[in-house]
Amino acid sequence: MMSSAELDSTKDHGATQLMKERKAMVETIDKQLAERPSFSFRLQLSLGFLLLFFLSMAIIIGSMSAIKRIQNKLHVFQTSEKFLFEVEQARRWEKNYFLYGTNLTDAAQSASNAKILLSRSLESHQKIYPEQAAQILDNLNKYRELLEELVVLDKRSGIDPTQKQLIESALRKHGSEMVEVAVSLTLKEQVSINALLNLIQQIPIYALVVYLLIMIYVAYFLSQRFMKRLNFLIDATQRIAKGDFSPIVPIRKYRDEFTTVSVAINWMLEELDARQKAMVESHKLKAIGNLTAGVAHELNNPINNIMLTAHSLLEDRKELSEEELVEMINDLINETERSRSIVRNLLDFARESESTSEPLDLGVLVGQTIKLTENQIKVSGAKIDVKNNEGKTPLEVAEMNGRDKTVKLLREEQLKEEQKKDSEI
Amino acid sequence: MEGKKIDVLLVDDEAIVGNRLKPGLTKFGCQVEVFEDSKEALKRIGEKEFDIIVTDIMMADVNGLQLLEYAQKKSTRTKVIIITGYATESLAREAMAKGAFDMISKPFRPGDLREVIAKAAKALGLKDNTAA
Repeated sequence: MMSSAELDSTKDHGATQLMKERKAMVETIDKQLAERPSFSFRLQLSLGFLLLFFLSMAIIIGSMSAIKRIQNKLHVFQTSEKFLFEVEQARRWEKNYFLYGTNLTDAAQSASNAKILLSRSLESHQKIYPEQAAQILDNLNKYRELLEELVVLDKRSGIDPTQKQLIESALRKHGSEMVEVAVSLTLKEQVSINALLNLIQQIPIYALVVYLLIMIYVAYFLSQRFMKRLNFLIDATQRIAKGDFSPIVPIRKYRDEFTTVSVAINWMLEELDARQKAMVESHKLKAIGNLTAGVAHELNNPINNIMLTAHSLLEDRKELSEEELVEMINDLINETERSRSIVRNLLDFARESESTSEPLDLGVLVGQTIKLTENQIKVSGAKIDVKNNEGKTPLEVAEMNGRDKTVKLLREEQLKEEQKKDSEI
Repeated sequence: MEGKKIDVLLVDDEAIVGNRLKPGLTKFGCQVEVFEDSKEALKRIGEKEFDIIVTDIMMADVNGLQLLEYAQKKSTRTKVIIITGYATESLAREAMAKGAFDMISKPFRPGDLREVIAKAAKALGLKDNTAA
């Protein structure tokens, strides 16, 4: 069985141990918090914006390339139109020749113009419509050959009419074929250009819708994550306000800006906890100090009595009667008992009780406190009448605090009563 | 030469104090009157002028300091010795200011008290019969 002093020192040691363990735990938690990969909100926000940026870039690049294609197509279209124009001119001149015998050279000229134009756009045509391009080229070449023949024949006077007719029909054939293919090509190009233009017109609308959806989602998603973290911290502060000073423990896989806050809060809790303990200690000491003065008074009386009685025994032992001797010795014993009970009461009062909240019997508490300050109460002349209620009054008060408050209360009453005698509490 | 007996009034609500000190002091050459009730003591002070008053401070009804004041009012000649269970500087100052001759703190040896009484007697000009 440990003595009370040993018990107290063990409790002290235990308290220090607890504090060390707490500190170690907080440090471990801090390390854990800090070791997690960082996925800060800044990062998340940046990712969101990056996503939008890439989307924008995709749309812009797509549009730009579409426009470029349209540009090219328009260019080819224009050349095709010019080509057709020249071909039709040639055919008109051709008709004139066969009708009136004039404009043969014009026809040849137009045909060569057409040839030049074709060669310009031939590459792009061959890429998209290789068959048709080859057809046109073929026809044009044949057409020009026939014209050359005609020119040569025309220079010589007297053309064989049947030969002339052959050439004419061949010319007609190639000419019309050429025009047909060229026209179909041009139409195709026109259709394709219109399609692209339509696409470009629609892109912004779709893009806007997609943007809106993405932004709503990101905003909602991000703010959800944010609020979750914030609420987590708010819950932590609420439980701290209730007096639970246990540190915030990491629950997510990643750390972010809120982690820094958590770590800071944990250290703050450490400080708060230490300070609270220090304050409680100082309050206890103050209370004990207050009590000590009163108890010193109480104790010194029986001690003095013992001293005086012992001296009397020593000095007068030969002169004293048996009765007187016995009386004095009994006095010694009684006064010692008195001292003992005073000391015991003090220890009971000042013992570092674990702040157990148990239902407090107010009557018992008041009785104990009165006994402790017996002498002072007697001196002040206040009469204390303790009327006890049936059963216990459930007071959720830590015993120590309770006694302390009661002592203070009684002392205050005492002081008030010092002037008024014979008053009752 | 037999000196006049020193008139001593001893006031303390602890009965043992009076019982133990009285024989010793009487042998010492004092005429001791013991009171446990400070109110009675106050009345007695009014009736008789004592040479020396020895009083506890912490008592019910009338406390030692009040006795001191009253005694001094009655006669400045009287030497009042204060006994206290818890001596503080403020108490000492107050007692001295009110005219106390000396202060003894409990627990004390009877011899200590006798010394102070002897001092007080000397101050009074009385010869003490040192018998102890």
